[in-house]
Amino acid sequence: MIRREFLKAASNAVGAVALAPWMLEREAAAAAEVDAVKSALAEAALTRAKVLGAMYADIRINRYRSEAIFTRERQVQNVARNQDFGFGVRVLVNGTWGFAASSIVTADEIRRVTAVAVDIARANAMFQRKRVKLAPVEPAVASWKSAFEKDPFDVPLDTKIQFLLALNDTALKTSGVSFVNSSMRWVNEQRFLATSDGSRIEQYLIRGDPQFTVTAVSRETGDFQTRRSLRGPQARGYEYIEKFPWQGDAQQAAEEAVAKLKAKSVEPGRYDLVIHPTNLWLTIHESAGHSTELDRALWWEADYAGTSFLTPDKAGKLRFGSPLVNIVADRVQSTALATVAYDDDGVPAQRWYLVKDGIFVDWQTSRELAPLINREKSYGCTNADSWRSVPFARMPNVSLEPGAQDTPLDELVAGVEKGILIYGDGSWSIDQQRYNFQFGGQTFWEISKGKVAGMLRDVAYQSRSTDFWGACDGVGGRSTYELNGSFVDGKGEPGQVGVVSHGAPVARFRQINVLNTSVSMT
Amino acid sequence: MLLTEADARAVTAKLLGFVKADDAVVFIQSEDHSHLRFAANTFLTSGRREGTTARVTVWIEKRRGTASTTDLRDAALKQTVEDAQTFAKLAPVDVEYLPSLPQQIYKPSLGWTDATARIDLPARARQISDAIAQSQKAKVIGAGFHQTGLLANASATAHGNFHYERRSIVSLGMTARTPDGGGSGYFARNHYDVAQLDTGRVARESIRRASESLGARMLPAGSYPVILEAQAVADLLDSGGMSFDARNADEGRSVFSLPGGATRVGTQLFDPRINIAGDPWRPQLATFVASDDGLPAQPMHLVRNGVVESLRYSRYWAQQKNKQPSGPFALIMEPSTPGVSLEEMIKTAKRALLVSRFFYIRNVDPRSASVTGLTRDGVWYIENGEIKYPVRNFRFNQSIVLMLGPGNVDAIGVPERVASSEGGVQPVLVPALRLNAFNFTSQSDAI
Repeated sequence: MIRREFLKAASNAVGAVALAPWMLEREAAAAAEVDAVKSALAEAALTRAKVLGAMYADIRINRYRSEAIFTRERQVQNVARNQDFGFGVRVLVNGTWGFAASSIVTADEIRRVTAVAVDIARANAMFQRKRVKLAPVEPAVASWKSAFEKDPFDVPLDTKIQFLLALNDTALKTSGVSFVNSSMRWVNEQRFLATSDGSRIEQYLIRGDPQFTVTAVSRETGDFQTRRSLRGPQARGYEYIEKFPWQGDAQQAAEEAVAKLKAKSVEPGRYDLVIHPTNLWLTIHESAGHSTELDRALWWEADYAGTSFLTPDKAGKLRFGSPLVNIVADRVQSTALATVAYDDDGVPAQRWYLVKDGIFVDWQTSRELAPLINREKSYGCTNADSWRSVPFARMPNVSLEPGAQDTPLDELVAGVEKGILIYGDGSWSIDQQRYNFQFGGQTFWEISKGKVAGMLRDVAYQSRSTDFWGACDGVGGRSTYELNGSFVDGKGEPGQVGVVSHGAPVARFRQINVLNTSVSMT
Repeated sequence: MLLTEADARAVTAKLLGFVKADDAVVFIQSEDHSHLRFAANTFLTSGRREGTTARVTVWIEKRRGTASTTDLRDAALKQTVEDAQTFAKLAPVDVEYLPSLPQQIYKPSLGWTDATARIDLPARARQISDAIAQSQKAKVIGAGFHQTGLLANASATAHGNFHYERRSIVSLGMTARTPDGGGSGYFARNHYDVAQLDTGRVARESIRRASESLGARMLPAGSYPVILEAQAVADLLDSGGMSFDARNADEGRSVFSLPGGATRVGTQLFDPRINIAGDPWRPQLATFVASDDGLPAQPMHLVRNGVVESLRYSRYWAQQKNKQPSGPFALIMEPSTPGVSLEEMIKTAKRALLVSRFFYIRNVDPRSASVTGLTRDGVWYIENGEIKYPVRNFRFNQSIVLMLGPGNVDAIGVPERVASSEGGVQPVLVPALRLNAFNFTSQSDAI
């Protein structure tokens, strides 16, 4: 059981941490207190919903722990630890959803809130035009823990602070560096889902988001440039800090921030681009991740996030990219942010192709969406970012597969006469149907006659999704593959924040439009 | 259930009673939020969430720690305080520490009505059903979002300050699309008083815009004169592309920085008719009047008659620079001269593109407050005072500062209460603008 594993981990950690032992024990005790009655609390909701006429109901009783440390230069700006605990009840009455949530986790409150959810559904059902149908799912009783090695909540706070200050110190030693901001965020989700179908699922997830930004200011010219850390958040424990060469990246970031002040401003025009996975993940996210969401294709997101150029008739027909482009949806990939064992519908995590050999072949679906395209099963993409949020369709990890040959970055660069090599994600924007996008980056390197030349600045590439992926003529091998991703992927009304990873090898794109983003203020 | 002032006073007193640190600030936010979402001319999700979060920040020998909880039972509150104190003991000295505020004097806030708190479920369902019925009658597909938010904020300090205020808000945004996907229209409004929200108008406007944007023509990218509706202005100004933060400017990393360590305060950076101010007591806005640590809002001008008059200061930076700290800010842009109606702007335009909404606005170059983004849900070509035809969407790359600069602002409208279509319901009071040039850099196929 997940909870028992947690208690054991906490107990083992007590002697090793600088946090007061009572703190871990209290957290564990509070969690155990709820564990003991969680099933009974869930039954209170499900029974009440059934009595009030719900044809389906589920309850999520979730605890979220988070820790954040923020520093700048040689000082700590804030250290915060948060506990967020509550439950959300979702009911289906006459084919109409109702949802209610509260932070007071008692049987009485659960019964009251369940009745509120039913009242909402019933009031809306009178005017409902299309009744909701859910794809069937096998009930599951399971517990699962994400793939972390070292629980970051067991690591001494002082160790984390010293790590961040050392990063800052490394960067500040470089002449010309003016400022450094660094931070570390950790999240632990303890999810419990009970459904009227009979599922009882516990999941324990750990995620981390370390990052830093180095700023170089030229007081003489009034110019300033930044270079952010290249690596993104991952579903790893504290081993992510210990195994990745963060200090080396801080050193490199410092040198590159200073170098950007004197780098050549790019000449706008068409270039061949060799894009590193630290940049390409975001292009995958916006152009392939969001466009293959079925709810967008059905105009469910028309009011906010937008629709999609991939309309329901295009699956299996539309050429999305060159034959080298294989894009996979994946909720089972280890250390990826959207990886779970079961989604918030109780559907098991899966892996499937969205784009195969360049052809768009499939969608991201949920139990509610799958029947709308005559599918019998959901791919398990339902998620809520909190106990207080309504579960709805969210993106799984979406990744570009590496090529069959283990092509290295140098080989892709060697095939470019005039181009740009891009690292790190920068500014990003895409239209509401996912056609026209524009992306910046952290560092840009001119490629001339197959070799990397000097640094460029003020670069953004702009293209159309299918033109861009169609221009892909080189995909790096497995050794160039990296996972990056986002802690803050927004979607939905009310807005929710998703977490998602995107794996990619380095890849090459021919003749892409490049803009110069600098604007003179004089 | 939203916390009353008496409830909040009791919880903050309890939290402060547990504090053994040298100094402390506690902040409580209680929320009761409900929504109804619809799309494809049918209801999607609908729900209500209730909850309270208590956050404690303490300082022990100037070392700072923060913890929060959603559990208001005594044991949990005590543990949260102890957690914060534990973190404070482990943290290095907070060199930016300032003692928490003593008792402050607050001018009452305005943004609450009981009527908004009493919206009933069947009435809301009927209103949205009516909007869908209007869509069906007009042969368009409606999608939208109705929400009601009730918030109660309270803060208290170890130095004796206490503040409590409530805010209600209700909003409806709607996007209508023609079934062939060839036309799309958006309209949204919000208010703290449900009686002031005209849901019928939101539906009518979005449907009209969808129908009138059908058959859009593709124009080449380039620099065009534009008329930006208030919604589009709110989308741009609320995008974060132009931050008035004083510390960033002083540190040389802002559009308001100048070489040699100076700032642009005192310079004529904007059109002389432009004023940018913050005032949460404006009746059309009526937003929160205190920040989380209890700092009272101050009406202030950032830009007066086009001259940068002031920047926004945190408590720490204000102390360093001998300035007044800024408190919470509710954005107002207003002309020094009488505002021109949108109809008049169109009627007197020789040639312009009318833009109703922007989307996915992101910073591109902070040195010039340049942003990129796209038009969305309605662009029309105007010639000789008449709307001639709808136009396909564009991507733009544009400096907000240069856009509002002397020589580029042609006409300024009457400020309206709107909210960024990407930023939720935080209201701003901004006018439509007619600008001589706006930089569209590529065409977009999206509708």
